[in-house]
Amino acid sequence: MALSLGSAVRNTWKTLSSIKTGVVLIILVVIFSAAGTVILQRPMTDPDDMARAYSPAMLRFLDSTGLTDVFHARWFIALMILVSFSIIAASVERFPNAWRFFARPYKSPDEGFRRVLSVQATIPIAGEEQGLGTAERVLRKFGFHSERIVRTDSFSLFSEKHRISEMAVYIVHASLLLIFLGGIVDALYGWRGFVMLSPGSSSNRIEMKTGAERTLDFSIRCDGAGEETYTDGTPKKWWSKLAVVDQGREIFNKEIVVNDPLVYRGVRFYQASYGRTGKLDKLTLNATPAKGGAAQEISLAMNQSVALDADTSVQLVEFIPDFVVQDGHVYARSNDVENPAVHMLVTSKKASTTVNYWLPAISGIAENSSSPYILEPKDLKTGVFTGLEVSHEPGQWAVWAGVVLMAIGLTFVFYVVHARLWVVPVTDANGKLALWIGGSANRNRDAFEVKFKKLVEELQKELKPESPAGAEHPAASTTVAGR
Amino acid sequence: MTLVVMVGLSIAFLLFIAFLNVAKSGNVLSEANLLYGALVFYAGAGALYLGFGVTGTESYIRFASLATWAGLIANTGAVAHRWYEAGHPPFASLYEMLLSFVWTLAALTLIAEKRYGVKVIGTVTMPVAIVGVVLMQLLRSEVRPLVPALQSTWLHVHVTLAMLAYAACALSFALAMMFLIQDKLKTETFLAATSVFTVGIYAAILSRFERWGGLNVVAWDAENKTEVFIAPHVRLFVTIPDLGWLMLLVFGAVAAPLVLYILSYVKKNESLLAIANRAVFISILLQVLALVFFILRARDGQYPSLDAEGLYQTSLAASPFILSALVGGIFANLLYLLLLWRRQDLERLLPDADNLDRITYKTICIAFPLLTLMIAAGAYWANRAWGSYWNWDPKETWAAITWLVYAGYLHMRITRGWRGRRAAYFAILGFAVVMFTFFGVTYLLQGLHAYA
Repeated sequence: MALSLGSAVRNTWKTLSSIKTGVVLIILVVIFSAAGTVILQRPMTDPDDMARAYSPAMLRFLDSTGLTDVFHARWFIALMILVSFSIIAASVERFPNAWRFFARPYKSPDEGFRRVLSVQATIPIAGEEQGLGTAERVLRKFGFHSERIVRTDSFSLFSEKHRISEMAVYIVHASLLLIFLGGIVDALYGWRGFVMLSPGSSSNRIEMKTGAERTLDFSIRCDGAGEETYTDGTPKKWWSKLAVVDQGREIFNKEIVVNDPLVYRGVRFYQASYGRTGKLDKLTLNATPAKGGAAQEISLAMNQSVALDADTSVQLVEFIPDFVVQDGHVYARSNDVENPAVHMLVTSKKASTTVNYWLPAISGIAENSSSPYILEPKDLKTGVFTGLEVSHEPGQWAVWAGVVLMAIGLTFVFYVVHARLWVVPVTDANGKLALWIGGSANRNRDAFEVKFKKLVEELQKELKPESPAGAEHPAASTTVAGR
Repeated sequence: MTLVVMVGLSIAFLLFIAFLNVAKSGNVLSEANLLYGALVFYAGAGALYLGFGVTGTESYIRFASLATWAGLIANTGAVAHRWYEAGHPPFASLYEMLLSFVWTLAALTLIAEKRYGVKVIGTVTMPVAIVGVVLMQLLRSEVRPLVPALQSTWLHVHVTLAMLAYAACALSFALAMMFLIQDKLKTETFLAATSVFTVGIYAAILSRFERWGGLNVVAWDAENKTEVFIAPHVRLFVTIPDLGWLMLLVFGAVAAPLVLYILSYVKKNESLLAIANRAVFISILLQVLALVFFILRARDGQYPSLDAEGLYQTSLAASPFILSALVGGIFANLLYLLLLWRRQDLERLLPDADNLDRITYKTICIAFPLLTLMIAAGAYWANRAWGSYWNWDPKETWAAITWLVYAGYLHMRITRGWRGRRAAYFAILGFAVVMFTFFGVTYLLQGLHAYA
């Protein structure tokens, strides 16, 4: 029983670690991701649009299978976890071999290895010591520092470069897992929300994407917000002056713009939108006495009362951003500042009269003509709000670390070659002394072969003048067999 | 003789399209004129490659490479002009990205030619460049101010990397095709592939077929230079009468070689192939006809719509897909004819199969890290602009899919030792996905990348 369980585990492990499984999983991820871009996704798509695009039966099917929210469906997350396991299994399965290669380099090639190595050459030499010495010098010239390997009966040379390249693929796989880890942490512990602030107000309540509300243990205050536009009216820049208030103390403040958020205790505040609230901020008027006289400029805020002279005062009582008149009443049609109207009370203490002053003068309601002052609007400033996207992504550091690690890993995978060279004194078939040189590279082999040939030529040149007898030997044979 | 006429025709319609849109007065060194110059030179280079196909004169290739240089210089001028005028690197809209893409493609073509000795690579890349420049003529080209989210250095890093990566992918595609030629893939297999591609194009166009032989195209608001929307994401279509019949006719013509190929395969009858090749020739002439009629009718004019009362304007700019598909189909078929008639010359001029296989792999080794960095830079930018590094938006998802396809290629190649044909097919698939990510997602699927 235990045996069969063991073999089942072993089989599962084998299947999981095979490259075939990896490719099948990649194909599945590709298919489902593609489906997620073609099928309309909730919650981004309006429910009405969904209903228009699919028949009710189809929509029920898509909803029940999770195809309308592929990237958050349980089976998709399970698939991603399976991919992670496959990467882990494949890496663990292959790692010991690579590690052996990495930790215990093969330094003295035996005869069998020498026979089958595809990149090799043999050069006749006069003496062992002098031949190896020359080889050492030439190798150094080509950037290879060699070490002398002492065997019971002879010396040989071993040299290598960039052994780390053998580990590169594991670096890449580890970085991918790190990115996944960051994504999982964010899916579990991260959140996103939105907060709207008017200049002067502060808040610690975040409206979450899910519709719930979240209370932060510090609050954010808006000290100002604004917009700059291009001449054609398209927005150029949105900015907000924000301050962090923690336990009644202002910790710090920052002016944020799009692409430059404020970060406090892992919570990031992004400039997302900007607009008008439909509430009045300041009204500027010119007031002229009806009997004639000098005009004066006054400013009014909501419900504020300003004295026009010793006897008369004006108070702003109502602001309607988009008004419409029906049956002698004024209603607001929307909150957009489209067609604004203001209602003021002009009060005279001595006569104890109050006049309803409307701008514009709405017939039937406004009593503008009986007012002791004529009021002309000069400027109307409505309130603004700044929309802040708020997010908390504790896993993002794992993601960025993974990205950096992957860049390093890929550089090693593609551009750093593990090259090895061996130089062994041998006796050839005729009993003459010769130098056997072999080389291997784990990638970019054609470039390595060219370099190897150059190295051998150089070595031949160096060896010739010192061994005139060598001229009688057959020329050095370089073999570079096809792969 | 007919061949010469055909090459002449192909150059003529390129110039025709160019004149329709770029013959503007004003400063000689304006961006439009520089771009026009680039188009003429790229077209010249493409024509010279085809000329080589017709006559087999090798010196044509040298002149073609010279023309590419000239085109690249004009293109550089256009890029610089744009950059200066806009005050930011030209990556902010589809128009600007195409400008940079074509530039990169031409530069890489010359590098491949000089550095790796792949002399005729332009035969494949130049048509792509020409389609790119023609598309640019139709897209909005005035400098538009950047909305706040696009004002970031990371955007430029992201898009530069994307252009480099995509151009490297395009190159690997061209190299994989050449490998298949050198690998003695049968000419009739290319015939089948070309036919399937062209049939696919016309099937896609005919999905817009409207009753009574009309063809639906998107309405165009000439004043604001945008498509007409009747609801968010819902475009207004107008019907061009009778154009549907013509497309149906051409569909029949391009399907004929495929049918003949299948027949010859089933009946093992070689003589049918000769007829199929002739059918390709006829289909090219009909395709040119379809293109000319499409341009004439869709360039402007008022047409009725099924969804709204009255007549609406359309423009070539509203149908960049149909237009590039029509041009792409013609080029694919011309390239097939080049292969059919000059295969021996091509085989002599191209590097051998082993070399091409290796260079394809090396190109992907360059493309893959660039793709990775491109996605990373995009994620970092998104994190700064929207507060989230990954949104599963369609463009992001498709970039990830592209990355996965190439990752699959590398795994099969490195651990399974995939060489030769299978690797070449994989490289071709990878580029198809790249093209979909670049064009398809922008036009078919909506998302955060909507400005592009």
